[in-house]
Amino acid sequence: MTDPPPRPYGAGVTGREQFVLRTVEERGVRFIRLWFVDVLGLLKSFSIPVSELESALSDGVGLDGSSLEGASRQREHDVIAYPDPRTFQVLPWKPDSLVARMFCDVRQPDDGPFGGDSRATLRRVLEQAAGLGYTMQVGCEVEFFIFGALGSNGDVPTTLDDGAYFDLTPLDVGSDFRRRTIEYLEQMGIPVKASHHEVAPSQHEIQLAHTDALSMADAVTTFRIAVKEAAHELGAYATFMPKPLAAHPGSGMHMHISLFEGDRNAFHTDAEESLSPTGRAFLAGVLAHARDMTAVTNQWINSYRRLATGFEAPEFVSWTRRGAAALVRVPSRRPGRAAGARFELRSPDPSCNTYMVLALVLAAGLRGIERGYELQAESIDDEPNGAPRLPLDLREATDLFDDSELARETLGDRLCDVFVANKRRELADERRTVTEFDRSRYLRLL
Amino acid sequence: MTDAWIYGTHGSERTTRLLAELGFSPHRVAANGTLRPPAGGGRAPALAVILADGLEQPSCSELCARLAADESLGEVPVLVALASAGLAEGIGVTEGHELLVEPFTADELQARIARARHAVNGVDHEDIVRVGSLEMNLATYQVAIGGRPVDFTYMEYELLKFLVTHPRRVFSREALLSRVWGYDYYGGARTVDVHVRRVRAKLGSENAARIKTVRSVGYRWEGT
Repeated sequence: MTDPPPRPYGAGVTGREQFVLRTVEERGVRFIRLWFVDVLGLLKSFSIPVSELESALSDGVGLDGSSLEGASRQREHDVIAYPDPRTFQVLPWKPDSLVARMFCDVRQPDDGPFGGDSRATLRRVLEQAAGLGYTMQVGCEVEFFIFGALGSNGDVPTTLDDGAYFDLTPLDVGSDFRRRTIEYLEQMGIPVKASHHEVAPSQHEIQLAHTDALSMADAVTTFRIAVKEAAHELGAYATFMPKPLAAHPGSGMHMHISLFEGDRNAFHTDAEESLSPTGRAFLAGVLAHARDMTAVTNQWINSYRRLATGFEAPEFVSWTRRGAAALVRVPSRRPGRAAGARFELRSPDPSCNTYMVLALVLAAGLRGIERGYELQAESIDDEPNGAPRLPLDLREATDLFDDSELARETLGDRLCDVFVANKRRELADERRTVTEFDRSRYLRLL
Repeated sequence: MTDAWIYGTHGSERTTRLLAELGFSPHRVAANGTLRPPAGGGRAPALAVILADGLEQPSCSELCARLAADESLGEVPVLVALASAGLAEGIGVTEGHELLVEPFTADELQARIARARHAVNGVDHEDIVRVGSLEMNLATYQVAIGGRPVDFTYMEYELLKFLVTHPRRVFSREALLSRVWGYDYYGGARTVDVHVRRVRAKLGSENAARIKTVRSVGYRWEGT
């Protein structure tokens, strides 16, 4: 049997395009939304009418590349977005007028890679890992709040319920909302493992079943808009802001990470330890670079208010099997469940750029394996045990990221520079802002 | 996906032309005992036609047995064409899934192909597969459950189509990867499990239960 040569990812194949064109025709789809994410992981979308679909599939669609670089529209430059027919999906929340979406690959007009596309960057890192025989699997537990319709900017939002952790009561408006959200997600091909009410009022958690890293990053992007749509339909507002309420825990996005060599979980061990030597080296790599990547796992000024206040949010670069406050938790080994061996990274929040986070986690872990990093001692009873502190604020995190050789090698200078410039603008804006804190502390005292 | 492979030489030019007229891409397999054509042999064809008249090495029955035993060609519908003069001898009449008697017309060939595909893959003459409340239209890529359309992504659709048209047989994850994804997959062997979960979620409980997990082997579609 003569095997066809491997096709490069993204190369057009008529079968897929036929599928898209035929489905659009049969289902009466009227518009196609082309999706891509900016450097902060925020979803950007533009619509094309069905009449433009065929040429968009073959020749791409031109757009201004600065729109991917996070609202820094200083210089315009043209890039080409190629819709990926593999990601074609009819949107379930537009039943009256059918609309479908496709994620795009963004490239330079000369077909070279465009450094500002974090989705393409993750794919490149995944391809490198695949060259070494590895694929990463990721599961996510996404926390978020739904509030009553928002008032003016800066008001404290109204909570919808007083539901407590795992509560299930008829008064919990949230269960209607969760059911609707889960239906949307499953129609979008994002299976949900579990969902429940979280600790804080109006807070929810939905666990997304594990999948490969690119599909998971796409799923998180899709998840955020599906949740917002479902909340909107119930007259509410969903937010992935890391810390909306001072008195209550913030929202995190714990990531369950495992690494496969073919069909075999490379983290699994039959020995007493919870992780194989490969798993320990991978985790050591992630911990060694945890401070470098905090600017990406926790990319907003507000992210650090979640990390500062405990409520199980991590403060130190530590790992544990039983504690609740470490950066990484390694679940106990379950005999006979080899595929389940993994670790749980607990710092990211649900408003991160999942593409960049997963690219960095994978690159850091692979570096740990290549260079044989030793895993530090486990932290017992949530004592940091001499482990370094995570950056205290966005300024410290941005400086560490800016100087990180791993980040620059993995993400490329362009993506790093654009990201850092964006974060420095955010910090400068904050420095000029008089806040509630200023007034409550100083107005009468001084 | 609409490749048709032709074995044997008797009347092969005419058969090739008729198959092309019916929308198939015909490929002739060399008469040297190979099972696959020199070009386009990477994927299993939609059907195989054995022109049994004058076929000696390998014989028609040997060829059928080897096709049935092949890892990726085992469920390809096989049509055996015999010359009317040879019918009385009975050689080959019980081979394959459907019999053709030469000379045959394009209409007859089309009808015989439809019968063979229905018997083997459960596909009716309009390219529709029906299993319980599930209806899959292979010509338009549309899937409906109880008459209501269900929207799949391309790979979800291709996986479901493969399982539905190959009922009752267990496929390993590796077999599904190479037959459904070809060389264009990304998540390693776990990709199959992830997609099965996605397809099951969209199918709803009644039809999801038709995709059986066969522990430490793979998956099987429980068709009718």
